[in-house]
Amino acid sequence: MKLSALARDLARIVGEDGALWRSEDLMLYEYDALSSLRQPDVVVFPRTTAEVVQIVKLAAARNMVVVARGAGTGLSGGSVATEGGILIGFSRMKQIVEIDLENQRARVQPGVVNLDMTLAVTDQGYYYAPDPSSQKACTIGGNVAENSGGPHTLAYGVTTNHVLGLEIVLPSGEVIHPGAAHWDRPGYDLTGLFVGSEGTLGIVTEITVRLSRKPEAVKTILAIYDQVADATRTVTSITARGITPAALEMMDGFTLRAVEAATHAGYPMDCAAVLLIEVEGLREAVEDHSDDIEAVCRENHAREVRRAKTSEERELLWKGRKTAFGALGRISPNYYVQDGVIPRTRLPEMLEFIGNIEKKYDLHIGNIFHAGDGNLHPLIMYDSRDRAQTARVLQAAKEIIVKCVEMGGSITGEHGVGLEKSDLMPLIFSEVDLEMMARIKSIFNPLGRFNPGKVLPTGKMCGELRVEMAVGGTI
Amino acid sequence: MTAAVGSIRTDLVSIVGESGIVTDPDSCASRRVDLHIPSYVVYPDGAEKVAAILHLAAENDLAVVPFRNGTKLSTGNPPRRYDIALSLKEMNRVWHFEAADLTISLEPGMKFGDFQEFVGRSGLWLPLDPRGGAQASIGGMIAANATGSLRQGFGGPRDMVIGLKIATTDGKIVKTGGRVVKNVAGYDLGKLMVGSYGTLGVIVEVNLKLYPKPPEWVTFAIRVSGLDQVRDLRGSILRSPLDALRLVLLDAAAVALMRREHQPERQGAEVWIEIGGSHRVINRCESELGQIAKSVGAGLSRLEGADALWKCFSDLPAWLQQEHSKVVVLKVALPIAASEEFLSLARQHAGGVRLAGFAQMGVGIIHVCLLPETHSANLVELVERLRKTAVTLGGTLVVEHCPIEIKGGLDAWGATGDDFEAMRKLKSVWDPKGILAPGRFVGGI
Repeated sequence: MKLSALARDLARIVGEDGALWRSEDLMLYEYDALSSLRQPDVVVFPRTTAEVVQIVKLAAARNMVVVARGAGTGLSGGSVATEGGILIGFSRMKQIVEIDLENQRARVQPGVVNLDMTLAVTDQGYYYAPDPSSQKACTIGGNVAENSGGPHTLAYGVTTNHVLGLEIVLPSGEVIHPGAAHWDRPGYDLTGLFVGSEGTLGIVTEITVRLSRKPEAVKTILAIYDQVADATRTVTSITARGITPAALEMMDGFTLRAVEAATHAGYPMDCAAVLLIEVEGLREAVEDHSDDIEAVCRENHAREVRRAKTSEERELLWKGRKTAFGALGRISPNYYVQDGVIPRTRLPEMLEFIGNIEKKYDLHIGNIFHAGDGNLHPLIMYDSRDRAQTARVLQAAKEIIVKCVEMGGSITGEHGVGLEKSDLMPLIFSEVDLEMMARIKSIFNPLGRFNPGKVLPTGKMCGELRVEMAVGGTI
Repeated sequence: MTAAVGSIRTDLVSIVGESGIVTDPDSCASRRVDLHIPSYVVYPDGAEKVAAILHLAAENDLAVVPFRNGTKLSTGNPPRRYDIALSLKEMNRVWHFEAADLTISLEPGMKFGDFQEFVGRSGLWLPLDPRGGAQASIGGMIAANATGSLRQGFGGPRDMVIGLKIATTDGKIVKTGGRVVKNVAGYDLGKLMVGSYGTLGVIVEVNLKLYPKPPEWVTFAIRVSGLDQVRDLRGSILRSPLDALRLVLLDAAAVALMRREHQPERQGAEVWIEIGGSHRVINRCESELGQIAKSVGAGLSRLEGADALWKCFSDLPAWLQQEHSKVVVLKVALPIAASEEFLSLARQHAGGVRLAGFAQMGVGIIHVCLLPETHSANLVELVERLRKTAVTLGGTLVVEHCPIEIKGGLDAWGATGDDFEAMRKLKSVWDPKGILAPGRFVGGI
């Protein structure tokens, strides 16, 4: 294909090797972890903020859409150019600009891989706390856009709790620097607003993150149950006992068997559910809490409680958890992962509900929960070639999300609204709430050229249809 | 009283009833903000009424300042105008409290002391110690992002708010977040409200995360003789595996103030470290801290009467305002490692003015109290010089309290950055008429 005028102009900014325009190259950028959707017109890879500014100005002059993308691991369609346009890939902006351990912070470009931040400071005894399951691939820029969580956010909070300041390119090409290298800069907390805004307000080009000191001791406990209800009751008992583990994860038997087949982590193949519980901190505190947790597990009829004896054992258990989605992918052509949140005391009730949904729609649902904070990830297995089954999947997913809302919960705990749930926003927000969000969006992105169709309801088509097309891979 | 002001009394009464409005000069004077006295004090008892008042005020272009006990009203520039004092005193209800979920949903007017007592019955707490202490209100603490020494262990309101309802000047109620601890649906408008000092909207409902109380806690004190020693201590403690709940440096003058002693500097500066946990956790920390202290040539002791002293810490601003009419309280936020240098330079600049410094060593926030013996024209100049020092070190300085005589000569917040235009636009979206605390906030917002 001939180099288009657009690609030529972009190549002038970033160099010939910094732009992709052939359809076969663009194919890689038409999807994220939600589904395969649509190709951008061009993908461009800047190296500096100045280049991002030039790209954004060029887009403004041509009235074109701009979508930012990290590693494309997102689960809600946030980084897919659903209306075409210019996709800015950040794989060449992956420098850790500055590490300042005395001030417990680092400045990074958005393309830095989440785990690489931790690896850069681990020898000095520090780490970057937010740990999405995709942390070996996902970028800090993408984490900022989605306000990503992870298993250990139970104790340490999500991305927004670990970002001090940002550099942002607005749709006009203007560059602003909300926040600071210290806490409590006076003024409105634009950093807090931008984190989680999914690239709809501006494009982040640099992030000042807070680094945390690694805990002295970590203990990982695996509690094994013959009854799912006993596992969920354990979760509520641990919280009620005043213990805050660093992580408190649940996987059901169906998921476990897939995980074990894929990773050989040593999970039991015949149980109904396991809890993966981690406590961190001072050695003595970890011992105290491990003993308390073990007692709670046994009170709630755990069949067996194991403690990882070595760091290899611990890593294997976590590998099983963090690669669980992939493991389920081995046994089913497609899966649709939900990301609902409920008050954690409602977990037993919710699992029962999901069990009924499974029966009602004749589906297999694997349950992987960040149980400690009530964040559910039911994975519904299906085959997108089976249209009737796909329709049942969507109905089941919707019922689960509606139930979350009825219980006083939310439609997304960490995956973001993106494309997937923008039209579900009215389930939890009134017209007044959404109107305020739209007015705020219009301050920064008045023409809607940055990441259109994400976060706020579009009204362009009914919500169910959008999700259906995404899940069915036909948008 | 302008005509517009006079004509809305009836309308206000129709919202809050005769019993919900006060107009007598003494009551109005008691709700003054700097030298401005409002014409009305109103006491709505529900979210819808707050929204209706704001709408009425916006329609009639009347300026409103929301407050509860006014523990933080001294912060901010003098308002450009001020007609209605909006009290949240009648808004004390708890809507939802599920101890096992560690969440609570309530109205903003509840006093922090009552709140802690309420959730404390279930073994929970909100780990904050804001200025104003027990007299601060939940809504005010959020509006001011008010933190104290517990910031070290737990963060601040920004980290604890999981949902808000906000009454806006167009008479509506906007919801953000929810009742669950993890939630990324929609723009995080709650973050905008935290620290906005009531200039965008009025918080009418608050959802918070709660925390289990540690079984035991102990405060240790290390007496220090110089800032070099403090720097070494800070480094060692922050690199150690200890998880301090509080970590505060008090200079000699600050130690004297904490003990409510008027003869300053009898003793040296002290570092106070609070640790929570089981008995054996505390013992382990004691031995680690003892070694760290020894390594810098200092000694460690258990601080007697620590609970009362920490209470003094949050009550200090109020106490100082009573005891020292000329006191200036500054909040300096810095990169963590710049604290000692700032304190050292501040002391040089202060010259003859008595200065007390309270530094949250692991957070980078220092409260500086200036206690001039006599009225001094140099105070404005001194504050400006301290601000310049903070900015040079990569930080900011906010005047939290100062005598009214010098308020006109000082900007409470300091210079704005390249994101100020965005802040100004946010203000105009939330409050297009500019009726909420006009002129009090950053950059004249």
